Amino acid sequence: MRTLYLSLVITLFGGCSIKDVKPWEKGTLAKETMREGGGDVLFKKFANHIYFSKEGSKGGGGVAGGGCGCN
Amino acid sequence: MRTIFTILLFSSLLFSYQKGDIVSSEIKDKLEMKDNKIYVIDFFASWCASCKREMPYLSKVNDTIDKSKIELIGIDVDEDLKKGQTFQKELREAKKLNFRVVDDPKGEIVKLFEPVGMPGLYIVKDGKVVDFLFGARDNIDKLLLDVLKEL
Repeated sequence: MRTLYLSLVITLFGGCSIKDVKPWEKGTLAKETMREGGGDVLFKKFANHIYFSKEGSKGGGGVAGGGCGCN
Repeated sequence: MRTIFTILLFSSLLFSYQKGDIVSSEIKDKLEMKDNKIYVIDFFASWCASCKREMPYLSKVNDTIDKSKIELIGIDVDEDLKKGQTFQKELREAKKLNFRVVDDPKGEIVKLFEPVGMPGLYIVKDGKVVDFLFGARDNIDKLLLDVLKEL
């Protein structure tokens, strides 16, 4: 019973674990297709239009860096 | 229990190179490192925008240093070897890269260093990690030269 309980706990914990992506493994995440709307120019333009009209400002919608886990 | 928890929490730090750690002979052989030289090891990739931006500054540093005492080595961590080599070729043609690069598509070298951010710069003296600089930094050339001057 104890072994069963222990294995159940280990399995549950194991099921919850996610392997973290290391900074040097972010090549796929840095791809254009990983962004919202992917490489679709029209989607990007439309999303930006919504963002700017909601915020009442233009620019500052992006973040610095190349998805490499740095600043 | 508390000890195990603490070990697990800092396990990534335990296995990555910290200041004062001795670089393994495996790495030294792979990078052809000598004991009497200072090495600046730069981890970069083609998809890392900051790494690309930093490269001309590092090449500028490479022009000013005494190459008999200090050497810059780039480690390309691109999983796609062809993509990485094309990126390096482009940089060399644009005169933005002037130091030797070792390809690490399987991550054998980077997994031992485990930099917390990219680009990751390690300064190794007498086979020991003496300093590191992570991420996009302003005036990286001056920062690196300041670190090298102190050694």
